[in-house]
Amino acid sequence: MRRGPAACFVLTGLFGLGALSGCAPMGVEVWERDVLAKPEMQLDAGAIDRALDDHIYFSKEASSGGSGFGGGGCGCN
Amino acid sequence: MQLRQSKSIRHAVATVTAAVLGSAPGTRAEPNKFEGSLLLYSERDRVQAAEGVIGFTLPVKGERVIGLKLTFDGLTGPSPNGASPSRRIQTFTGASGGNTLTAPAGEIPLDNSFRDTRYAVDASLVQPLGRTTAASFGGHYSSEHDYAAFGFSTGLTQDLFRKNTTIGLSAAFSHDLISAEGGAPVPLSAMPPPGEGEDEPEHEEEGNEGDDDHEGTDDQRNKNVFDAVASLTQIVDRYTIVRVNYSFSHSSGYLNDPYKILSVVQDQHGDEPGEPVQYLYESRPESRDKQAVFAEVRRYLGGNTLDVSYRFFWDDWGITSRTADMTYRQQLGGGQSLKPHVRWYRQTAADFYRQFLIDGQPLPGHASADYRLGAFDAYTFGLQYTLPVGERIHLSLTGEYYLQRGKRGPPEAFGSLRDLDLFPDLDALMFRLGFTSEF
Repeated sequence: MRRGPAACFVLTGLFGLGALSGCAPMGVEVWERDVLAKPEMQLDAGAIDRALDDHIYFSKEASSGGSGFGGGGCGCN
Repeated sequence: MQLRQSKSIRHAVATVTAAVLGSAPGTRAEPNKFEGSLLLYSERDRVQAAEGVIGFTLPVKGERVIGLKLTFDGLTGPSPNGASPSRRIQTFTGASGGNTLTAPAGEIPLDNSFRDTRYAVDASLVQPLGRTTAASFGGHYSSEHDYAAFGFSTGLTQDLFRKNTTIGLSAAFSHDLISAEGGAPVPLSAMPPPGEGEDEPEHEEEGNEGDDDHEGTDDQRNKNVFDAVASLTQIVDRYTIVRVNYSFSHSSGYLNDPYKILSVVQDQHGDEPGEPVQYLYESRPESRDKQAVFAEVRRYLGGNTLDVSYRFFWDDWGITSRTADMTYRQQLGGGQSLKPHVRWYRQTAADFYRQFLIDGQPLPGHASADYRLGAFDAYTFGLQYTLPVGERIHLSLTGEYYLQRGKRGPPEAFGSLRDLDLFPDLDALMFRLGFTSEF
């Protein structure tokens, strides 16, 4: 059965990695990756900019983490 | 076929590299990369900062990838010291060297003695373990005049289902050393009046309230931070990729800001209700557990790209926060692009956040007036312009505006505090100049 992305992530969250098989029907074949291969579709694109932003938010807000490590290594004021 | 395998491993490599650097996992590797960014950050009437970063990502012997990132930043300018405003002029001992600070009547007191430079080095190594698995190792060092951090990290990623799914697990540990100017103060001890402990050594003992190791270099405190991130990245269809992360962070040790204080104010029945009687150094718990769930979806829309993310954060200090972020990349002619950015953030206050303490009442176990632990909303509006200047070189210019807004007059304010702005808006402008070069 083909599940939608929401169902896939909910199942994975509830039942752990075993439920990842629910994600198996999702996705594309290798020859369908032309768009996903574009630089602007890379989730890690602009990592340095993101790190600079995170440093500011880490210094000015009480939250950190989520997209990466929560951080430390800064006595930011 | 060989090419496909190679791409798969590079995909994993990119994901782990990103994880090591604390950024987002992706689905495509660009290992021959040299990038840099210069950030200018300017708060209205407060902190001014500049930060430069350069990063290299280089393949070594095939698929092994090393990464190196160097960061340098400097900041100066006033920052709130935690004291509440008063109808009178207030004087304090500054953070840097016991100098005297003066806060005008009616204004939130700022410590303008902050001047700091910081540099950081991050190194990473990504080692493929087969066609679909990769391991990573990273190291971190950063140093400021009163703070140093050593850390390392490791991670593992696994591609599944024809590389449409990537799961990852990474962990990091950091050991931080805090060498506060003048020594780390005893939590909730009284701040000595300006001048004491500086030119008048006979006042030191009295001013330090029993903090015998106040003076000297042995007054170093430390903090340990353990981080773990579990990630799931899923290609949904030809145009859509989704990522969900869960992150956990445990900090223990010295978690105070040694330069932050709280005002103890006269109670309702005093001669001047709400006016300060003395100032105490803040006190935070010695451990903190933070957790966050982060979800991001990126969708290709006919040449343009939409990225939407949401983070829910909570910790055992009573803080919860919600962050929604959206960027839209508009492709222009000649390889140029425009990327508007909007971010919304809302946090609740820590259980021990107090904008002031009241004279005569029992001291709480923990208390901090650091505005960053208070309840506020924040907004970011930005625009990035990217321009190709060579076959494989891109320049980007980014401007952003950040606004932080809390409760100016909380319901618990009384006396003179009722008429004063206890949480003035913080707003800042940011400019970034970045470049990316592939070689």
